[in-house]
Amino acid sequence: MPDPAYLVQILVNGLGVGCIYGLIGIGFCVIYNASGIVNFAQGAFVMLGGMAAHVLYTWGLPLPVAGVLAVLMVAALGVVIERLVVRPLWDRNATLFVIILATLAVQIVIERATLILVGDQPKSLPVFTDLPPIRIAGVAVGYQFLWIVGTSLVLIVLLVLFFQRTLVGRAMRACSINREAAALQGIPVSRMLALAFALSAGLGAIAGVLLTPTQFTAFNVGTPFAISGFIAAIVGGFGRPFGAFLGGIALGLAQAIAVVAFGSGLKNVAALSVLLVFLFFRPSGILGTAK
Amino acid sequence: MNQSRSLSAAGVLGAALLFAVPAQAQQVYKIGVAAGLTGYAAAVDRAWRDGLEVAVDYVNGKGGVLGRKLQLVVEDNKSEPQEAVTVYRKMISSDKVDIFISGCVSAGNFAAAPLVVRAGIPMVLCSILPPQPEQVKWAFSFLAPPRFEVEKRYEYLKANTQIRKVGVLHDPSPYANLQKGIAEKIAPDFGIEVPVVEQYKQDDADFSPQISKMNAAGAKAVIKIGLGGSTLTTAKNIKQLGLDMLLLGSIDDLAVFKPTGETLGAQFMFVAAPAQVYEALPDGALKAEIGRFLPLWRAKHGERDPFWGGKAWDAVMVTMAAIEKANSVEGAKVRDAIETISGFQGTGGVYNFSPTVHQGITTNPFFMATMVGGKVQVK
Repeated sequence: MPDPAYLVQILVNGLGVGCIYGLIGIGFCVIYNASGIVNFAQGAFVMLGGMAAHVLYTWGLPLPVAGVLAVLMVAALGVVIERLVVRPLWDRNATLFVIILATLAVQIVIERATLILVGDQPKSLPVFTDLPPIRIAGVAVGYQFLWIVGTSLVLIVLLVLFFQRTLVGRAMRACSINREAAALQGIPVSRMLALAFALSAGLGAIAGVLLTPTQFTAFNVGTPFAISGFIAAIVGGFGRPFGAFLGGIALGLAQAIAVVAFGSGLKNVAALSVLLVFLFFRPSGILGTAK
Repeated sequence: MNQSRSLSAAGVLGAALLFAVPAQAQQVYKIGVAAGLTGYAAAVDRAWRDGLEVAVDYVNGKGGVLGRKLQLVVEDNKSEPQEAVTVYRKMISSDKVDIFISGCVSAGNFAAAPLVVRAGIPMVLCSILPPQPEQVKWAFSFLAPPRFEVEKRYEYLKANTQIRKVGVLHDPSPYANLQKGIAEKIAPDFGIEVPVVEQYKQDDADFSPQISKMNAAGAKAVIKIGLGGSTLTTAKNIKQLGLDMLLLGSIDDLAVFKPTGETLGAQFMFVAAPAQVYEALPDGALKAEIGRFLPLWRAKHGERDPFWGGKAWDAVMVTMAAIEKANSVEGAKVRDAIETISGFQGTGGVYNFSPTVHQGITTNPFFMATMVGGKVQVK
């Protein structure tokens, strides 16, 4: 029987990564709800968040400023992508498959452009609070972990308030329930789509900025995160932002436990098998699909 | 009119022939390069190609070899064996290269080896040697045996620390697996135990579970085997877990070591190649040879890591020495001559080739180093 402190340690680690998966999963849901599009460029937003923060930080900006600017820049890029790539296709009544493929193309373009601009070497950011981890009964809890979990929870609360209490948030929800009816009510549906891209890109970038201090970033780190975030969104019940967050935590914990139980070579196999079995019994995910 | 036109045509033809003759006399020596300019091997193979360019410019600046100018023919094998076969075939049949000085994609070089051997062209490689003896006959490796990287770290632990339990953390690439096997096998020779061997995937976000597992098993150092940003992630994870474990990295680019050193400080050590610790080297043949290469490299590539570029330089210099010794550029003669090159000082160590030894580095050329204030320091 392994040491209980060690098991708790594993779960703490899994929780941290799971929050990141969750934030990425929420990004998928926000765009999906507004448009029905699965945005495969979501991973690129995560990478860009960390990368832009790194570049701004090396230019001498203080870390918090660099982080906030990076998130705003990536959110703006989300709008640009919506205007330049998604909107023209949308207006010409392209099928969703075509638009989804276009987002995949965007992902590749962003990756390659990043490779050309900053090179292929790994980059990173310093941790936000450079102190040794807090020790609770033999379990180490790093400050970056607290930042990740804390920021994620604050974001969840803000998102709930946004979707339930604000006019714009309600309008976005109306679009996700029935776009035509929403348009008839005078909701500017296309502006909602742009907003959804901004929100989703911003969330991805926040995940990137939070995560990069715990690992490295490079032009090609986006895709694995997009896959994990996508799985999180499906496990949570596609289209349910809060569900995606729970799905992310489930995936992060399942991966961490799998390393202990089966060894890291089988980490993803084991974690995904568990999640598949879960979906057999509950195909609509933890919270049930949105529609 | 008609006649004058055909006359002038004949004149042009004659002139062309006139020019063609000296052009043929001023022959070139063609070096074929199959390198993974894209794909997983890109970082190493691009540096390999850039090092070849520096070496070729240098040799051509001195008048070439046996009166011939060197010419590089570089093809991207996309780090894939199938692509490698295609580009090797192209360079053999259409470019008619005289020799191959190819990159580190072992599987690609292996896959093309039968073709190359049939064509009677020597293969000088950044990768390990192909498996078949008749292929090894034509192939020469400039890579240090994988054992050296592991031995250096164990030697250091044994001589300088009390640490006798380590965890091995490796990626799933063939080279890393090979090293992992060696790390498990030779540990007892150094009185070291390896209670935990864990794998990671290069794109995993977090290695804390693996590291916690090693810590729980009593390991006091992580032997990290594998290239790239994963070394930085390992360092960050060790720091977040607040562990005092050492992290011992394998040969890699200085661009990876710098941020890793900033993260873990003195807890991080790595296996360094001579060119990476140039400033700290004692005066001697090794320092002199790196000193010949490094200014040329820095003029073109600035502070970029010179290690792989230097290996490529060595490959060209050994080839030149062999051609001069054979006094011929013919494939079979050059091959025979490389086998006689021994005690050759390169930037990556001393190369000792012989009819039975085709992996030139035979003594451990590596150092253990740390990063102090962004600068490499030899331990």
